[in-house]
Amino acid sequence: MSSLAEYFHTDWAALTLNDWIGLVTTVVVFILMIVAYIYVFHPANREYLEAKKNIPLDESRFESEEKR
Amino acid sequence: MEATEKYHFDVVRWFTIMAVVYLVVGTLVGVLIAAQLAWPVLNFDIAELTFGRLRPLHTNAVIFAFGGCALMATAFYTVQRTCGVPLWSNKLAWFTFFLWNFIIVSAVITLPLGLTQGKEYAELEWPLDLLIAVAWLCYSFNFVMTIAKRKTSHIYVSNWFFLGMMVMITYLHVVNSLAIPVSLFKSYSVFSGVQDAMIQWWWGHNAVGYYLTAGFLGIMYYFVPKQANRPVFSYRLSVIHFWALMFGYVWLGAHHLQYTALPDWTGSLGAAISLAMIIPSWGGAVNGMMTLSGAWDKLRTDYVLRFLVMSLAFYAMSTFEGPVMSSKTVNALSHYTDWTIGHVHSGALGWVVMVAAGAIYHMVMKLWNTEMYSAKLVNLHFWLATIGAVIYIVAMWVSGIMQGLMWRDYDAFGTLSYTFAESVAAMHPYYVMRAVGGAIYWLGGAIMLFNIVMTIRMASATRGVGAPARA
Repeated sequence: MSSLAEYFHTDWAALTLNDWIGLVTTVVVFILMIVAYIYVFHPANREYLEAKKNIPLDESRFESEEKR
Repeated sequence: MEATEKYHFDVVRWFTIMAVVYLVVGTLVGVLIAAQLAWPVLNFDIAELTFGRLRPLHTNAVIFAFGGCALMATAFYTVQRTCGVPLWSNKLAWFTFFLWNFIIVSAVITLPLGLTQGKEYAELEWPLDLLIAVAWLCYSFNFVMTIAKRKTSHIYVSNWFFLGMMVMITYLHVVNSLAIPVSLFKSYSVFSGVQDAMIQWWWGHNAVGYYLTAGFLGIMYYFVPKQANRPVFSYRLSVIHFWALMFGYVWLGAHHLQYTALPDWTGSLGAAISLAMIIPSWGGAVNGMMTLSGAWDKLRTDYVLRFLVMSLAFYAMSTFEGPVMSSKTVNALSHYTDWTIGHVHSGALGWVVMVAAGAIYHMVMKLWNTEMYSAKLVNLHFWLATIGAVIYIVAMWVSGIMQGLMWRDYDAFGTLSYTFAESVAAMHPYYVMRAVGGAIYWLGGAIMLFNIVMTIRMASATRGVGAPARA
């Protein structure tokens, strides 16, 4: 066994319930982070997101904008 | 419609005023305890005035009294202005104000009396912990309900940062404070040993990460664009900044416990994620600074903007320094030394107070519908704060690195070269320098308080006492 494989060796049978909850939560959140990156940096969403930057500077919009 | 009819700003005004009062009081206690370390005679052999009693008073005053009031003022101010609706409940906001201030007064009484749980940044005993939870939930619930009835479809990014802080601090405070009371003012943590240490620093570093960073980034994302009168450089970057910060910060606590009984891998993990956090932190700092792209000339004349931009420079610096210090190689030298104190204060004095001061000056002018009493005093405050913070930080860098080197130096026979007392004696000049830097910083805060009091008096005199201000 190479030292790298030894370093990353995991005794899956030894994982407790807490370990599994932590592992699953971490992997799910990590995947959600990737989804967030793809959504935010997708060119199709650029205009929509960047339009929101004017919210603090344009308070007059409240007179006309309707809540969804 | 006049804004005073539209929004609930009276409670914001009082949170703002109390934030500045607590800044002056909290930093004054800080200057005293810094002086006590340089000249121990200043302990006066009075138990209630000793460093051990006053140090938690200083940290609670600046973090929860000043920081809490600043966060509540700015969150209640910005959520109304970005959502276009008044607070969900003005009465609940006032209840939060009085309860929060009651907790602060209780801390001022109990901490010098030595009533403490001994948990860093969570010293207050269990009855006050319960009250903190109530006040925090009232604050959070009011904020969430105000967002729920907003007039706009999108929730602006500053509100996301405030929301993230509220959720995480509720979770952190409740878990870290779990204790078994044995009397009215004595309790014992439900955690023990290495788990207690891990929970302590899970809370400790996340108080920095979510309360002193995420909350104050909420301030930055509203007040930098507002003061510069330019939209934030990249809204997409702000979204990534938010999610990366929320995901990453919660892992860092273990880096406070390198070379302890904690499993080695937890410290390594904490350090690895700390280093990764440089990316979103710097992304956020660059996003704030680049908001001024093409308008840097404003810094020549806009002293309030100077506070906000300087705070971002300190934010970038301390979010680089922290990860470097968390790595095991550097930590072997820096841990337990004054370098850590310098790092904390570069974040606290340079980032937290500077960005809050910029926001408070901005709000005071809007809330009382006036210019500042003296723009020159704002500029003077800026330079005193900057110079005072730099003196403080440099003193602690030199002192801390010298401490680390002295403690681990040994001769050819393997004997330590210096006694601990010798290292203490060597620190004296830097402790004096730190006290001087802190005093300069405090003077800036006192000038801010004077300037704001005079501004409010001037505005009241102009309008006639009791007349509403247009915000």
